[in-house]
Amino acid sequence: MGGQIFLGVLGGSAGILVSAGVFTVLLSVGLVPRFAGKTHTARHIFLYEEMIVLGTLSGDGLSILGTKAQLGDWICGQLLFGPDTVQLWRAVSSVLLGLFGVFAGVFVGCLALAIAEMLDSIPILTRRIGFRHGLGVMVLSVALGKLAGSLIYFGLRFYETGI
Amino acid sequence: MPKETLYLKLERNVELMQEEIRMKDLGRFACRDEKILNRVKVLLVARFDPKKDGGRKVISVMYLIKKLTKEFPDLEVQSIGETEVVAERVCTPKRKNGWVFLKICVVSGICFFGAAFTIMAFHNDISIIRVFDRIYTLVTGQKSDSVTVLEISYSIGLALGIIVFFNHIGGRRITRDPTPIEVEMRVYEDQVNSALTETADREGKTLDAD
Repeated sequence: MGGQIFLGVLGGSAGILVSAGVFTVLLSVGLVPRFAGKTHTARHIFLYEEMIVLGTLSGDGLSILGTKAQLGDWICGQLLFGPDTVQLWRAVSSVLLGLFGVFAGVFVGCLALAIAEMLDSIPILTRRIGFRHGLGVMVLSVALGKLAGSLIYFGLRFYETGI
Repeated sequence: MPKETLYLKLERNVELMQEEIRMKDLGRFACRDEKILNRVKVLLVARFDPKKDGGRKVISVMYLIKKLTKEFPDLEVQSIGETEVVAERVCTPKRKNGWVFLKICVVSGICFFGAAFTIMAFHNDISIIRVFDRIYTLVTGQKSDSVTVLEISYSIGLALGIIVFFNHIGGRRITRDPTPIEVEMRVYEDQVNSALTETADREGKTLDAD
């Protein structure tokens, strides 16, 4: 019993500190203000914050609970939507996964460049090599490079072996 | 007759619907003489020209002072606000609701899935399940069956931390302070504003006195 209480306290403190750390990183790169500024929807910042909170909690649930949180298995096992559940769920889940992929990709792409920008790498580079024009080409090249890197990573199965 | 003094306090950033920019759009004014005050307020400063300025003008306080002293030679102008104001023309879009709703949905989607992905990637990075397994075995001496008190309390702690950090839950604030993203939003707006004024200045597009 004592051990369980100890573990509970340990887990709770770990959670609180991790959330502070993770969100400090997310906030200090200033992604959400930028999204809100670009779309002129600064009035709805509250909603965006709630979405970040909900997203973090669901991601936490999915990754912490591991095999216990396999929604698809459970739905197909129970035949929740009648006899065609397996086919139906396959269609629904591929749409869900597509949405997840696109949105998470946009987020990570913005995060990567925002972190690069926080270190002032682009202003410093342009100053060092002394060019005034072609910034757009440079940003485009960074994006294309990221795309190529991502395709190579998944296409050549780097994730199995590490590079 | 002593000189009248006009106090003017420019805003940093104003949004206008109409094509003409008048004095009263750019800030606040105070003057003892009501008549002068009213004439100053409706004085035309400039017009937006979509071809030349793209619906955005940076106006220097010097330009306004020049204009005012030309119109009212006896007036003394005291500026106590910003030295530059960014005037932007916002066209009221007709398809407003649907479009804005779509944009809100997209940004919400990015925030939701992005945050979910980030926390999962973080957990994967630090192999949290193995760490928790080891701690569980260390403390209790038994093997962990994937969901233990440790995982549950960690999740509760994470939720608590986020709620305290962001200072609101379910659309309701816990204390009256602005939330961190609201603070970041102001900082971002300030930075955009100073970038706009400085770029306009460098390119010589600011409406300024010679």
